[in-house]
Amino acid sequence: MTVIFAIVKRLLASNIISFILTALVVLCATSSGNVVLSNGNYTWLLAVLTPFFFVFYDFSKLMHLGASKKDYFLGCLISYGFLAFCISLINTIIHLLIDPIYSAQTVINLMDVCKWTENGMIVAALQQMFFLLLVMIFLHVLLSMQAYWYGWLTDAVLVAIICVFTPIAPLRAILAGFFQIIMLNGNAVLHICICLLLSSALSLGGLAVLKRKSL
Amino acid sequence: MIELRQVTKQYGQATVLKNITLSMDEPGIYCLLGRNGAGKTTLLKSIAGYQNITSGMIQVDGKTITTSTLDTGVSYIENFAKHFNLPVRKLIQIASEVNPNYDFDFASEMMERFELDGKKKFNHLSLGMKTMVSTIICLASNKKVILLDEPVLGFDAIMRVEFYNMLTESFQKHPRIIIVSTHIIEEIAKTIQKLIIIDLGSIRFFDTLQSVETKAFRISGLQKDVEAATRNLNIIGQDRVGDLVTCYIFDNPPKQTASLEIHPLSLQDFFIQMVGHKGGVKK
Repeated sequence: MTVIFAIVKRLLASNIISFILTALVVLCATSSGNVVLSNGNYTWLLAVLTPFFFVFYDFSKLMHLGASKKDYFLGCLISYGFLAFCISLINTIIHLLIDPIYSAQTVINLMDVCKWTENGMIVAALQQMFFLLLVMIFLHVLLSMQAYWYGWLTDAVLVAIICVFTPIAPLRAILAGFFQIIMLNGNAVLHICICLLLSSALSLGGLAVLKRKSL
Repeated sequence: MIELRQVTKQYGQATVLKNITLSMDEPGIYCLLGRNGAGKTTLLKSIAGYQNITSGMIQVDGKTITTSTLDTGVSYIENFAKHFNLPVRKLIQIASEVNPNYDFDFASEMMERFELDGKKKFNHLSLGMKTMVSTIICLASNKKVILLDEPVLGFDAIMRVEFYNMLTESFQKHPRIIIVSTHIIEEIAKTIQKLIIIDLGSIRFFDTLQSVETKAFRISGLQKDVEAATRNLNIIGQDRVGDLVTCYIFDNPPKQTASLEIHPLSLQDFFIQMVGHKGGVKK
């Protein structure tokens, strides 16, 4: 476990650009009008940026330092879990403490949009955490595949699904249903279970990709 | 500990490793010699599990090695390995944290001996110093197999001597298989125990250095005398100038006679004869 935590420490330390960018956006973003976006929403940017660094920057360098693929894989999963927790905590705090300051305006926080706050703030924070974990693992797997033909194929399939499913009403309903289950889901237990299930499946996919990865 | 069975590696139509079968059972410092493009790096990367082979099997300590092997027990370093742009001391500390059996004392001692500035960031080091940092990290990892791909690239003469000493000390402290690929043949001769010569993707020679010292000779003289002396011997090369012939053998030397000049072959000459090329012309 010491080795894995050393890798987690390194992954987080070398992710500093993501932290700075996210912090800048969260602190500097402004909205005007009667309806404003909560600055907490921008904390999600960290979940999008982090996999890029873990996949494209840290992997080869950790391998050259003698880390094993197994430790790298577990280190990434733990880091994603930790970051999902932190992002969720910060967004929840912003939603609880800073969003009410805009009393005269309607503040939109994605936790409300996704109906998670219907279950209370603690459960909403948990739902957000597991959703962000799913997002990070999904991006990690997708980015890991980009060096191979099946990565490009996956990109094409994803683009095709969005392009084909969006204009055709029955297919659009399926796509909307999928997003309602993984994101816009007020049923906390179902939502968390789905996110965990998909995260596990994607992790296994990520492991398969990692096993094929050459240096 | 390392076993290669009928290993073939192809990149598209090009076959880089051709049906290599090799077994390294004993700990020792092995030198991998080969011309540019002979397949040295491909062989080392395949043993490290950095890339897959096209056919055959590689085993390290009984464990089959492919890119799927999540923990190979092999430490490989290439000469242009990129590291985190951190101070050298920090980099070595991180390496010690991610390697369970890391010899931190050895790494620190080597840092001092090579006068590496621990506060200097990796990207600010010279090529030689970068290679040295990578080599120290690799040797200190204490894995069962250490693979060093052209580690002396960019080293000055003093650094090279220090490097060979470091290699010997590291091996004496932790006997294991260390494979070093290099082009500077004569210098490493004092350090190594076994020699592997690879050419055009095939293993041309694999034996102890001692066998080269006792069996590799150059025999010069008139054609008829040389032919008579080297009949039934393993001739690895031949040069001819008019009626004078020089034969290169890897065998027990013939008896010295007045008409023959017999000299032991240097490691470099032996290598040149084994790979069968001279001046770009295949003999």
